[in-house]
Amino acid sequence: MSFLGSGSSKSSEDIKTSLLQQVQQEAAMTNARALIGKINENCFDACIPAPGSSLSSKENSCLSSCMEKYINMWNVTSRTYMRRMAEESKKMGGDATSLADMGPGL
Amino acid sequence: MDPQLDISKLTDADKQELQQHLANETQKASIQQNVHALNDTCFKKCIVGKSITSGTLDRSEEACAANCVERWMDMQMGVLQKLGSMRGGH
Repeated sequence: MSFLGSGSSKSSEDIKTSLLQQVQQEAAMTNARALIGKINENCFDACIPAPGSSLSSKENSCLSSCMEKYINMWNVTSRTYMRRMAEESKKMGGDATSLADMGPGL
Repeated sequence: MDPQLDISKLTDADKQELQQHLANETQKASIQQNVHALNDTCFKKCIVGKSITSGTLDRSEEACAANCVERWMDMQMGVLQKLGSMRGGH
């Protein structure tokens, strides 16, 4: 037993909860990073065809519209994909997990 | 990683619960990755090349996005079916 630190007093329940929290945090972080990366890539292509010495106001407003559009489209893509996956797995006999694991394999 | 998280202290029931949660998280992450890849492809097809003036999707863009996913899935299912029939030999 140690007087310093609460390490020895952590219960199985505590450990489980904080492990899960960490995993969920990491997953959210990875997801956000992927989204940001894709937005940068696509919106740079779409809004800045010829980079000048600074961002013009037109480029700036294009970038912010583009970002919003990308996120809006992400939601449409996600909704459509989930709906279609559910439909396909129902066709194949209701095993949703095996199909979702296979994914579109991009 | 917190050094105080000693997984050897987990009870068997908690271990099992954790494993189930992890499997769910893994599946969720894999679906999210697919959506990222798919959205990238479809954004390039439906949006890039046009001038972007608004942050909302207009009706044709929304239709294009949904169609893009549906056709991608058609292709995916077609490829799987074709591969299956090639392997099965009939």
